[in-house]
Order: sequence, then structure tokens, then C-alpha cells
Amino acid sequence: MRTLKRILPHAVLLTYIALILFPFVFVLFSSLKESNIEIAAHPFSPPTELYFKNYVEAWVKAKINVYFFNSLYLATTSAIVGVLLSAATAFAITRMKFIKMSKALYQFVLLGMLIPGNVLFIAQYILVMNLGILNTHWALFLPYTAGALPLSVLLISAFMKSIPNELEEAAIMDGLSSMGLFAKIVLPITMPALVTVFIVNFLGSWNEYLLANFFISKDALRTLPTGMVGFRDTFKTDYKLISTGIVFSVTPVLLLYAFLQEKIIEGVTAGSVKG
Amino acid sequence: MKKVLTLVLMLVVAASTVLAACGSDNKGNNGNATNQPGNTDAPATTAPTAEPEKVEPFSVSLRHIQIGESTKFRKAILDDVVKKTEDEIPGLTFELDGLEDQVNRFTKLPAEMAAGRPPIVFDLFGGAGDALKYAAAGRLLDLTPILEELGLSDRFLNLGQFTLDGKVYGLPIGGNTEGFYYNEVLFEKYGLKEPTTWEELELAAETLKSNGITPFAMGSKGAWVPLMLVNTLIGRYAGPEAIDGFPAGTQAWNAPEVVNALTKYEEWIKKGYFTKGELGYEYADMLNDFVSGKAGMMFDGSWRSSVFKDQEQAGELTGKVGFFAMPAVPGGKGDQTFVNGNYSNGYGFSAKANENELKAIKAFIKNLYNDEMQLRGLLEDGVLPSIKLSDEAIAKVDDRISTKVMNILGASGGAFSHYDSTVPSEVYSESESQIHKLIAGKATSQEVADALQKVQETANSRPAE
Amino acid sequence: MKQTLRNPAVYALFIIPTLALYCLFFIYPMITSSYYAFTDWNGLDNYKFIGLKNFADVFSDPDFRSAIVNNIIFILFAVFVQVPLIIIMAILIGSVKRLQGFYKTTVFIPSILSTAVIGILWGFIYHPEIGPLNTFLRLFGIENIYWLADEKWAMPAVLFVNAWQWMGFYIVIVLASILALPKELNEAAAIDGATGFQRAIYITVPLIKPIISVIMMLSIAGAMRVVDIVLVMTKGGPVGATEVMASYLVKEAMGVNPNYGLGTAISLIIFAFALILTALYQMSFGRSEKGDVS
Repeated sequence: MRTLKRILPHAVLLTYIALILFPFVFVLFSSLKESNIEIAAHPFSPPTELYFKNYVEAWVKAKINVYFFNSLYLATTSAIVGVLLSAATAFAITRMKFIKMSKALYQFVLLGMLIPGNVLFIAQYILVMNLGILNTHWALFLPYTAGALPLSVLLISAFMKSIPNELEEAAIMDGLSSMGLFAKIVLPITMPALVTVFIVNFLGSWNEYLLANFFISKDALRTLPTGMVGFRDTFKTDYKLISTGIVFSVTPVLLLYAFLQEKIIEGVTAGSVKG
Repeated sequence: MKKVLTLVLMLVVAASTVLAACGSDNKGNNGNATNQPGNTDAPATTAPTAEPEKVEPFSVSLRHIQIGESTKFRKAILDDVVKKTEDEIPGLTFELDGLEDQVNRFTKLPAEMAAGRPPIVFDLFGGAGDALKYAAAGRLLDLTPILEELGLSDRFLNLGQFTLDGKVYGLPIGGNTEGFYYNEVLFEKYGLKEPTTWEELELAAETLKSNGITPFAMGSKGAWVPLMLVNTLIGRYAGPEAIDGFPAGTQAWNAPEVVNALTKYEEWIKKGYFTKGELGYEYADMLNDFVSGKAGMMFDGSWRSSVFKDQEQAGELTGKVGFFAMPAVPGGKGDQTFVNGNYSNGYGFSAKANENELKAIKAFIKNLYNDEMQLRGLLEDGVLPSIKLSDEAIAKVDDRISTKVMNILGASGGAFSHYDSTVPSEVYSESESQIHKLIAGKATSQEVADALQKVQETANSRPAE
Repeated sequence: MKQTLRNPAVYALFIIPTLALYCLFFIYPMITSSYYAFTDWNGLDNYKFIGLKNFADVFSDPDFRSAIVNNIIFILFAVFVQVPLIIIMAILIGSVKRLQGFYKTTVFIPSILSTAVIGILWGFIYHPEIGPLNTFLRLFGIENIYWLADEKWAMPAVLFVNAWQWMGFYIVIVLASILALPKELNEAAAIDGATGFQRAIYITVPLIKPIISVIMMLSIAGAMRVVDIVLVMTKGGPVGATEVMASYLVKEAMGVNPNYGLGTAISLIIFAFALILTALYQMSFGRSEKGDVS
């Protein structure tokens, strides 16, 4: 009876885990199978022969390296710039002595948190169109970075507020200017929050589909989500290729996750709890 | 240990980034290679070719819809035209952008037109909802002078859907007709002959159904697919004039004859003549259904015919597929020998093309719209020519389906186009959502007709802009 | 010393870029949305002011009304199905000693993947002929279910995938909260003879109320934002069974007949909805979040 009680949670959890993992295993198997027929006939069994050439075919046909690179560089740059801008602003409004102004600014920026993603989409489209940057990477970089600001400022401010003032006082007595203070003292201490914010923003931009789909038409500039959907639409019924495409786009993320999972989870948790 | 792993990972990511960047760089370098001077190879007997002007390399964006297996022949033709044109114009590189047909026509291009920034060369559909709309807004290049220069002005069979106020704004790449493909093996098995009358068609459908074969393959996720059949039914029940009558206000969508067409479609839905679960199936799935022998007939356009002579795509059915036009319907209005005929898909060009781009455009048109390429399209791809070809050229066609199609067109009293090129966009969009409702059983044929008439009336009453 | 922290030049430098970007891409679009929503601009012609017509049109369209209903279904599903399951899973993971790290890491995985890829993946699994789900069901003699083509099943299918993607994210958050609780309470209760079940209900859950409130808010916000998964899997079909307000917006504004006026009007409606829901939620659960800087 005791053992049953101890096993029960694991049984439930393992079922749930199986549900989470099975799609990945299935796709992996399907990507190495010969054709739709084999996939349909034996969906759950491993392939009889490993058709690695599916991977070559998909890589060549789908230009996944292009999409991957675009996503990577867009997500990284907008996350980094977002972090830097938010950190600077957070520092200004939490540590510098312009209290009334800072309070107002803080509330102003926080307003952005109320607005769900889709609401601005059309207006941003029109704006990007008028700015003439439609179909360039700027069309994504700017909204992604801007979109990251409210949450980032919120998180970093929360963290910065907990830094004791004495540190600054000591540094100032040592002759540092406020810029120096920011760069040499505050920024290093805030690192955990910065990493969190970077990861959250990176993931947000990496996965973004709506803007990426409509703001960019040139194939060479497409990001991974849009490229993958385009790939699926082209090869609609060739499921072994589609599986391969999925494996290609998911593996790098999984690898990154394998190495950084502690940081990622920690970051997300800390952020939401504080928020 | 963890730190080392992280470092390694960063290096891997950085390395792949660099490699990917190098990959895209190479493409750019290859483009410049076309800019080779030619005088070093001039044979001694001819006058040396003039020193080429120093030309800045430039690229011209080209949007096409030839992606995927089934359009590979068309893509091959496009590639050859692109190469030939690039060789002719120094400094030119075409930047090809392949997009799915519906996405280009209904999502990307309208948005790009609205932004005033379409590609320079792009796949374009004719008619009130597409080419004529953009031409009226000044987005399309007037091709009339180019056609005159190239001597093509009178050679096209039908430029109606691309002509506004006497000026031509697009060029159809070919013609097509929409009709029934049928599985000859299955028909023979069940003792059916190619239907020439309505009774024979419905007998074939019923026979197939009772033997567990889906009569008509259908993938209606993309509404345009079932609408092909709806259009031809309207052409039969309400007569060929109906198609132009809708926007002209002389034909009501909810007049009894049109409702009859919709009711017949509804009847077939209720009898289970279409693929089960069709609302979840795409155009490509419909082909699969037919090719795999699960369905005995398929209503589709003649552009599909090249699939059936390709072993890779048609499998066991290769060369065993027949084609027939929709027979006359009992009680149908108008000339029942008319067939559906469309010259509505081709290329358009941006009105914003600069001087270099214009050169490229002219050369592109010259290289694509000529007898050789048109014949190739017919022979390799089953696409009917949009330019008048000589009889001997046409005699070269050896594909059964293509020959049959041309015979059908030749024997017909005339052609009616698809209403998607005569009615304004909002009516077409409405028909898309209405056909889905009809298929899902959420609307009756009368309700569908009424809804369409309502939108048509609103559109017709708007003052011309 | 006060001087360094009062340097207006540095203050400006640190604030202005952020503000500029924020105003340009957040505030300005909000303003233009509010303007275009009252016009009939379709991108090609000159537009004219048409007052509330867009709003009237949209609310009288049964397809939009059913899209609103679908958004509400997402919210209800999130609040009444997902949240309880999340809490249960989090408590379960928190209660086991072995494999805890494994569980935590694995459930989180779907939430870091792109929604578009997940849509493609599950679209494949749901395929009536080739997909493993139907193959599995056929073993039990169940006929092919057209998951994404059948009106009855499309919405549940999409709801399930959405849950599959996001539950892990919330589970991890709640788990962190649970693990941060002082162990003594639980241990004391165990000594007093309370079962695991009782301890969960009477001790753990009340203590993590704040975080439950947070994930409810996030879930509701998430339900309002749903659009990627619908666009990729069903495009709102079949016949609008899975259409949500945002996908309806995309269809109207970015389709054949781009109607930016209508599109921005719908954006404002979504925004209003989100505000009302947030306000309602705050009022009924009273918890104000730590938003003040003071």
C-alpha cells in the first residue's frame, strides 16, 4: 500500500512526460523513414532503414540554414539591445535622483505591459510600411526590441531596487561618474537579471510568427517560424521531409536548452514571481 | 566543466553563423559573374565586339508560384528564361522568390500593392479582383508599348482579363480549361464509359460510390478548389453569359438558374460524392486521393495534366488518366457546348521599374512569350498556349490529355471564364466562405446565393473610382 | 556625491533611446490604431472617415461573434482545465524526491519551441490517414476522426495543442513557488497524520495563492493573444470553428481586400476586451501586483 502511494505520483508524471516527449520521438522516427507509406503503416516503430538522405534533401530544398541564421541574429541583436537600453533606463529611474520624473516614466513604460501583442500588429504594419523598411530586417528588429522594453524595464528595475545604496556611495567617493558607476558597478551586479531578461526576450523574438510572417516577404530574409510554415506549404504531403524540417528547427533549440536549462528556468521563474 | 561546454556551444553557434553568412555571400558573388566582357572570345573573322560599358550589377526581384513537385516543369521553363535573360543583359541578376500560389495572390501581393512596393516581376492573375484592380490604382506597368516594340500586340489569344481602358497590364502565360479527370483503370473495372451526357456522369458517380470508391476527389480547405466545379456548374445551369452578368448586374446570384447549380452541388455533397473530411484537405491531398485510386474522378484544371505523365507523381496511374468536359445539364440555360476557358494567370510588372529594370523586363517578356517557350509549355507541361501557335507546332503534341483538351476547346461553341476574374474581390471572398458553409452543411444553396447577391449588389452600386 | 546621480545629461542619455523606441512602436501605433479604426482605409485609395461603421459591421458579423466566443472558450479552458492541472502537476513534482530535476526540465521543453513549428508538428500528428493518433485509435476500432477538418473536433484539438505547449511553462513557475515554501509546515502536518492529499489542499495550495493568481492572469492574457497556433494549424477553419478575434483580424486586414480600417477597429476591440478582463480579474481577486516603484 505504501509503495502504491509512492509510485502513484511517478506514474502520473511519467504519463505526462510520455505525452510531452512522444511527438518528438515520432517526428525523429518519421524523418528517417522512406516515405509516407512507411510512416502510415508503422508510425510508432523505428525506421527499418535510416534514410539519412532525407536530411540532405530537406537541407538543400528548404534552405534551413538561411532561416536559422536570420532568426538567430535577429533574436540575439534585439535581445542584447533591449537589455542594454532597459538596463540603462532602469538604472536611471531607480538609482538616479530625479524621483518624480522617474515615477512618471516608470508608470508610462509599464502601460505597455497592458497591451496584448496582436493589438498593435496592424498599426505597426502601417508604420513600417510608411517608414519604408518593410521587407527588411529593421522591420522586425525595431518592433521586437521595442516590444521587449516594458517587461525588461520592469524586471531590471525590480532587481536594481534591491541593490544597497552604500555600494554606490563608496564608488562615488572613489571618484566614479554616473556612467562609470553604471558600467563598472551596477551592471555587473545586475547580471542575473540581465541574463534573465536576455533569455526571455531572445525566446520571444525567436518564436515570433505574426510579424515575421507579414513584415518580411523575401525568402532570403525569412525567420525560422515563417520559413518552416512555407516549407510545410510547399511540401504539404511529403511528411518525411516535413519531419526532417521539424527536426532541423527544433534540435538547435533543444541543444541550447540542454546546456542552459538551469539558467533559463531560473530566469523565467524569477521574473514571473517578481512580476 | 559546464563553462567549457558553454564556451564550446558558443563557438559552434558562432561558427555556423559565419558559415551561413558565407553561404549567402557566395550567391551574391555568383551573380556578378554574369558581368564578363565578351570581346576576349570574339573570333578573328568578325569585327571585335564593342567594349562593354561599365555596368553596375543590379538585381530584379521576381516573384513566382512554381514551387513544389507538381510545377517542376514550369519552373524549369522559368529557369531557362531567367538564365537567357541574365545572359543578355549585362549586370542583371534575377532574385527569384517562390511563394505558394494562394499566399501570393491573396495575401502577399495585395499587401505589397497596398504598400506600393510589389516585386518588379511577379505572378499575376487577371480580372477585376486582381490585375484590373491594381492597374486602376496605378501599380502596374503599361505593357502596350513593349508589346508593340516586340511585335506581340496581336499574337495573344485573349488579353481581356489584363486590359484596362485599352492598355495591357499583364500577359497570360497560358490558357486552361477546367474539367473532369477520370481514372481509366477504375472506369474499365466497373464497366463505365467516358461520360458524354449528364446521366452517364451521375451513373458513373453512383457506380463508384456503391463500390466504395469516392466519386469526386476533393480537397476543400482552400476554397478555390471546390469553386472550380461550382463555376462550371453555373456556366451550365445559368449559361455562359451569367459569368459576366454578375458584375454587370444583369445576372443575379440568387436567380433560380444559379441556385439550381448550387443545389446540384449541395446534392452531391449530401450523397457523399466528395472525399470524406475534405475540409481538412489541401489541393495536393486531392491529387493524392485521385492518384492513389481512392477516388475515381477529379475536377481540376488542364494545368494538372503534366502530373499524369510523370511516373514519380502519378505512380501506377501514369498514362491511364482521361479527361472530359462537363456534359450538358438537363434544363441548362445557354449554349451547353461552351466550355470553361481561362487566360488568367501570367506575369505582371511594377509601374515603378527604373530604366535598368525596364530593360530586364523587356528581355524577360521577349524570352518567355515566344513560340518556342509556349510550345515547350504545351509539350512538357500541358499548359495551353496563350499565343497563337501554328498548326504544325500544335501537331507536335503527343500527350493524350493535352490533345483531348485542345479538341474539346476546338469543338466548343465558345468559352466562359471563371467568375473570379470578372467579379470584384469582396464577392469572390464571400463565395469562399459561403462554399465552406455549404460543404459543412451550415447553409443551404438558397442562403449561399442570397448572401452572394447581397455582396454583389453592394459592390455594383459603388460609384466607379 | 549627490551631483553624480543628478547628472541630467546622463539621465537623458539613458532614458531617451528607450523612450523613443517605445513611443514610436507602442504609443504611436496605439494612436494611429485609434484613428484608422474610424476610417475605411484599404491601403490603395484615399480613405474617408466613417465613424463607428467598422465596429457596427464587425459586431453584426456572426463570424466575428463566434470568434469572440472562441476566445472565451480559450480563457475558460485555461482557467478551469489548465490551471487546476498545472497546480496538480506542480504539487506532484514537488512531492517526489527522485527524478524531480528530470520532470522539471522535460515539461518545460514545449514552451521554448516556436508555436509555428509546434503547429506543424501536431498538424502532422492529427493527420487523418497518416497521423499516429488515428493509427493508434484504429487499433481500438475507432474510425478515422478528422481532427482538424471536423467542426466538432477542431477546437478541442487546438485547445489541446495550446495546453501541451504552455502548461510546462506554468508548472515550472508554480513549482518554484512550492519549493520555496518552508518545509516545516508540511512536515508538521505529516506528523499529525495528514495525508499527502490533505496536505496539498489545506497547506500548499493556500500558501501559493499569490503565484496561482499570477499564472491565472498570464493564462488569460495568453488566451487573448492566441493566434499563431490557429493560423498555422487551421487558419481559423473549418468554417470558422477555430477562428479567434486575432485570426479574424488577420483574415480581414491582410487578406485579398486589405481593410486596415476594419483591422485596427478589431485591434481596439481586442484591447478593450483585455482591459475589461484584467479589471474584472483584479476586482474579484483583489490582488494588486507589485507594480509601484515607490
